[in-house]
Amino acid sequence: MAQTVPGRTAPPQTTTPQTVTSAVPRPWEDPAATPFVRVEGVTKRFGSFTAVQDVSLDIYRGELFCLLGGSGCGKSTLLRMLAGFEDVSAGRVIIDGRDQTGVPPYLRDTNMMFQSYALFPHLSVEKNIAYGLRREGLPRAEIATRVTDMLSLVQMQGFAARRPHQLSGGQRQRVALARALVKRPKLLLLDEPLGALDRKLREETQLELIKIQQSLGITFIVVTHDQEEAMTLSTRLGVMTEGRIVQTGTPHEIYEFPRSRFVADFIGSVNLFDGRIAVDGTDSATIACPGAGMDIHISHSVAGTVGQAVTVAIRPEKIEMLASPSGTRPNAVEGRVEEVAYMGNLSVYHVRLDSGMIVRVNMSNRSRYDDDVPRPGASVVLEWDGSAGVVLEG
Amino acid sequence: MRGVSRHRPLLALIVLLGFVFLYAPIVSLVVFSFNESRLVTVWGGFSTKWYVELFRDSQILEAAWISLRVAAASASIATVVGTLGAFVLVRFGPFRSRALLSMMITAPLVMPEVIIGLSLLLLFISMEGLIGWPSGRGMMTIIIAHATFGAAYAAVVVQSRLAETDLSLEEAAMDLGARPVRVFFDVTLPGIMPALISSWLLAFTLSLDDLVIASFVSGPGSSTLPMVVFSKVRLGVSPDVNALATIVIALVSLAIIVAALLMNRRRPMR
Repeated sequence: MAQTVPGRTAPPQTTTPQTVTSAVPRPWEDPAATPFVRVEGVTKRFGSFTAVQDVSLDIYRGELFCLLGGSGCGKSTLLRMLAGFEDVSAGRVIIDGRDQTGVPPYLRDTNMMFQSYALFPHLSVEKNIAYGLRREGLPRAEIATRVTDMLSLVQMQGFAARRPHQLSGGQRQRVALARALVKRPKLLLLDEPLGALDRKLREETQLELIKIQQSLGITFIVVTHDQEEAMTLSTRLGVMTEGRIVQTGTPHEIYEFPRSRFVADFIGSVNLFDGRIAVDGTDSATIACPGAGMDIHISHSVAGTVGQAVTVAIRPEKIEMLASPSGTRPNAVEGRVEEVAYMGNLSVYHVRLDSGMIVRVNMSNRSRYDDDVPRPGASVVLEWDGSAGVVLEG
Repeated sequence: MRGVSRHRPLLALIVLLGFVFLYAPIVSLVVFSFNESRLVTVWGGFSTKWYVELFRDSQILEAAWISLRVAAASASIATVVGTLGAFVLVRFGPFRSRALLSMMITAPLVMPEVIIGLSLLLLFISMEGLIGWPSGRGMMTIIIAHATFGAAYAAVVVQSRLAETDLSLEEAAMDLGARPVRVFFDVTLPGIMPALISSWLLAFTLSLDDLVIASFVSGPGSSTLPMVVFSKVRLGVSPDVNALATIVIALVSLAIIVAALLMNRRRPMR
């Protein structure tokens, strides 16, 4: 697993622009704050297969934490251990100060929203939502009020008597959310909550989910394989691969300051330039990249040793594409446009450098007309600033 | 579509012949049960007198009553035992001797009835010698015998239903505060109920139809309906047996139709 070159880029806090989600408090930056959910060195083995390996994680009250990873990375297994459906093989899970080892799911203060929604097919919407409250033995009147409140929270007032199979996918998703929320859990676990919805509905529901989470103040842990979803929803996210968490941070930190090639590559798209440290000064560095046929200049120290193998990761939107060199940026390289993928709001250009390497560049389509845009075959100059690239170990 | 329609007359003929082959005997039996004449092969006009006759025959009525009680009891036992077996096969994951258990549960489906009947008879006799139960042969031994092979059918039917149920439903119930027993009655049982009903009906029907196994394990005074019919027919076919057969056919087809409908009523999950 690649690690950061010691003394990596400027600390994220100083450069973080205020995003929507950063309006909520950031307890993870406060050393005095006690985590609400504490995962301590948790390992899960199935026979000889290790699904989750030595994962430690602190999640704070009111967070919307996303576990992001490809299929089979262990994110769902971790969630199921929090819910109590799987025992931990090693380590422990503490929720709100209480060790959850050996506590069965029906005694935990967590609720889960399942990927398949798992609505009881033989019960109406109303009875589905009331099921958890009935198990608590609450008085009928209170159950009725709370179910009605939940139905209006998820805007399903008119559907109380319907059976799950009479609902659309989006409606079932709302009922599943209501059923999981109605017990007022301390912690809500959501397994791919929007996975079954189509794109448009998913985007709307994401914002709605954030709104509900903030209005109820319940801590959410969401498992998803969709990086856009994770970026949109989360206060912080943890990137998982092969049973481990490789990086946790705010969406901004994860995107702009990945600590490994894997994270840089997994989140969004990125150009990776392999090279070696040629010069490492106090506030600048040069990375020799023979593959790209150029030296990449970095506007800060990388605090490595000269000759050390590193990778410079540069996001496609950080690269400027020009017809002729501007002479104002420290990094410039010539190339030829090979392919253009028109995406509507932006176009992705594949530019072949003279060295043969392909570099992806994004340009937003500000003009409605395509007279000025480079076409395949056009000679261009790619330029970027000294702060555009992230230097990663090997 | 065009290829099919070109062969359509031939196809229709084959289907027709198939149905005739299968159902002509049954249809003739039903028709002749309404025959006025005592001669089974000569049509003497429409009459329901054999049905009236049938319901005056106390031997047949008594046998029918025994058969119904045996079928109901053995179907109930078979469904419970078969469901337990299905649960072990589907839910207990891979365990040693799972394949063996699976094979042995389904073995009675293919085992010749004569062998099942004989082996059970020998078992009952030696059990009586060893522990004094079941004392003699009678309704109890027929019920046990029918429950044995009925359980095999029930296990197969419930197993397939159980294998396709969504485990996350049970997890959801548990997550919402239901203890395992509660989960079983609230979620699992409603989910497999159609399979339970259809396997009960299947076991009931099989028990009602069985002649061979019942002949082995029955005792004096516990002749089932098929046994009585068989002995009557050996003395010569009388039209009231046709009437009885018609009633049985009606009941059995009704049960099979209900069972099939229940099995095919797929829950529209998605």
